[in-house]
Amino acid sequence: MMEALGYFLMSWLDIRMLALTALGTFAGIYIGAIPGLSVTMAVSILISFTFKWDVNEALALISGIYLGGVYGGSRTAILLNIPGAPSAIATGLDGYPLAKRGEAGQAIGLTTVISVYGGFIGILALAVAAPAVSSLALKFGPREYLLLALWGILLVGSLSGESLSKGIFSGALGALIACVGLDPMTGEQRLTFGSLQLSAGISYIAAMIGFFGVAEVIAQIHDLKLKAIKQNVSKIIPPWGLVRKHLGLATRTSTIGVVVGALPGAGGDIAALMAYDHAKRSVKNPSRPFGEGAYEGLVAPESANNAAVGGAYVPMLTLGIPGDAVTAVIIGALYIHGLKPGPMLMIETPHLFWFVVGSLCLANIFLLIFGLTGIKIFAKIVETPKPILLPLILVLSAVGAYAINNNPVDVYWMLGFGLLGYLLKMYGFQVGPVILGMILGPIMDRSYRQAMLSTGEDVGLFVTEFFTTPLSAILLAALVFTVVSQTGWYKRLRNR
Amino acid sequence: MHTSHPRLPGELTFMALVVLFSAFMLWASYSISQFTSITSPGVFPMLCAAAMLVTGLMSLVKTARARLVLDDGEGWVQQLVRKLFPLQLVLFTGLIVAYMLLLEVLGFLVASYLFLVISMPVLGSRRIGLNFLVSLVTLAVIFVVFRTAFSVVLPAGSLVGPYLPELLK
Repeated sequence: MMEALGYFLMSWLDIRMLALTALGTFAGIYIGAIPGLSVTMAVSILISFTFKWDVNEALALISGIYLGGVYGGSRTAILLNIPGAPSAIATGLDGYPLAKRGEAGQAIGLTTVISVYGGFIGILALAVAAPAVSSLALKFGPREYLLLALWGILLVGSLSGESLSKGIFSGALGALIACVGLDPMTGEQRLTFGSLQLSAGISYIAAMIGFFGVAEVIAQIHDLKLKAIKQNVSKIIPPWGLVRKHLGLATRTSTIGVVVGALPGAGGDIAALMAYDHAKRSVKNPSRPFGEGAYEGLVAPESANNAAVGGAYVPMLTLGIPGDAVTAVIIGALYIHGLKPGPMLMIETPHLFWFVVGSLCLANIFLLIFGLTGIKIFAKIVETPKPILLPLILVLSAVGAYAINNNPVDVYWMLGFGLLGYLLKMYGFQVGPVILGMILGPIMDRSYRQAMLSTGEDVGLFVTEFFTTPLSAILLAALVFTVVSQTGWYKRLRNR
Repeated sequence: MHTSHPRLPGELTFMALVVLFSAFMLWASYSISQFTSITSPGVFPMLCAAAMLVTGLMSLVKTARARLVLDDGEGWVQQLVRKLFPLQLVLFTGLIVAYMLLLEVLGFLVASYLFLVISMPVLGSRRIGLNFLVSLVTLAVIFVVFRTAFSVVLPAGSLVGPYLPELLK
């Protein structure tokens, strides 16, 4: 117990880690707030720079960026009606009308306090649930991992896009990209076409920077002419009465955030939209009608998306399955630092778990401090014109890709994936599932082959065991439901 | 961005390419170890490529059924250019490609500086003095931070590198 507390407080007592967490949170708020810069983009680029760092230092910085970034998106949603991040889409629905009424300061203040509250609920859920999930995960065999990984891809494909088929395509493409190189079980060449470069595989960090950095920058050119509207920002600290009034709703929507965040593949953006929908249905007398500046419309999505951060860490640390695109990137970072996220992580390196919980708590406190200060400077910085901002992001992306192996080939991969990502985005494909596929693909490949080998390559037995093992059966049911719920047949049945 | 029902210009061609690519990858995956065993290294890539082919075909059919709505007096190519490849985007993408290719030759500092000062006005930043200054300051910050804090060795450039002082390599 004392040992766990020691690890929990590690980032609080070490001045360097304290500074890195603060820096991460501060940077995260700005990165999340500036439209065109996403947390996933920032974490993807950053990971390539932190290879040589101590893993704790890298995690302290990333925890801050993640929490700060999820929150930061709300500021531009309120001030400019441009969500800085997808998780802030719902925030703008009531946040911007509030700003137009001259209540931008109060809206930002309330959002900050509620985000921190939601963040703590998420972290608490992580601290309590992760050890339990981890114990359960020890019972998971290759079959369960196969189903879980498949479910993750299907969930992200179905929830974050408008077309399930395009979502599955993206996930399968990512899994296929991950196959390029030497087969980890036999050492045989796969999809290398005789190229030595391809034998080493394709760096998923280069792919991530390409899909989330370069593609996003190119896509942003369509919105170059969007002009910012200046808002009056004053009275930031919200009255206690206003906060207290919304704590009940925030607790409910934070719970939604934790659960959705913990689902493999579903993250803060979906949690925020579901929480907003919940608030609309459950709050009988909102402060104003929803969509016209209701405080409830701010509280629900903002508590949920920050709570989803803690939730997303649960499957990541206990199962090695990412909760969303950012945690997919963080899993990549853990692998690079020689750690293997999964049930054994909690047993072999419990200090890492408590360190992450401690860093997230610390980042959440910094979020409160930075969230309630410096709004006026912030309002100026987010107005940085895109013609200046976009080329700078490109340069950072190039440095990030080059830093992976000091090899220009990674820069070319990044460029290729960036151009592909742009076309995919424009034609309605999600790029998130591609990255998830790259992380989950090797897990599925290995699990499938291990499960099949355990049955002596008996296809009948392999299929039967999905139904006869309770854990597999539950996961299979969840997977089937995810697919069926996307069909027109199910939607018609539900509407009856 | 993409809207659900009307077809975007070039979407059908893109979907057809997606299907062709998926079919090629299915063949390439099959070539790894054919059907020698159900756990052979080629099985999982084959499953992925098959999933891509099936879902790609589904998207192709859906796209073919959707209607391409052209604005008044606008041709297919004009709409493709306006919605997907406006001149600014094409020029900027060309600059990105040139930048990435010249990174090794001119080195990080020179290539990045040229890229920044050329691309900013291409994207519409007309204040040339400000562009030069912002490029210089941010590059200096990036160079110092990444060289010191992140220990990233940036390319000095085969053409320019030999003439740079040691500090800037």
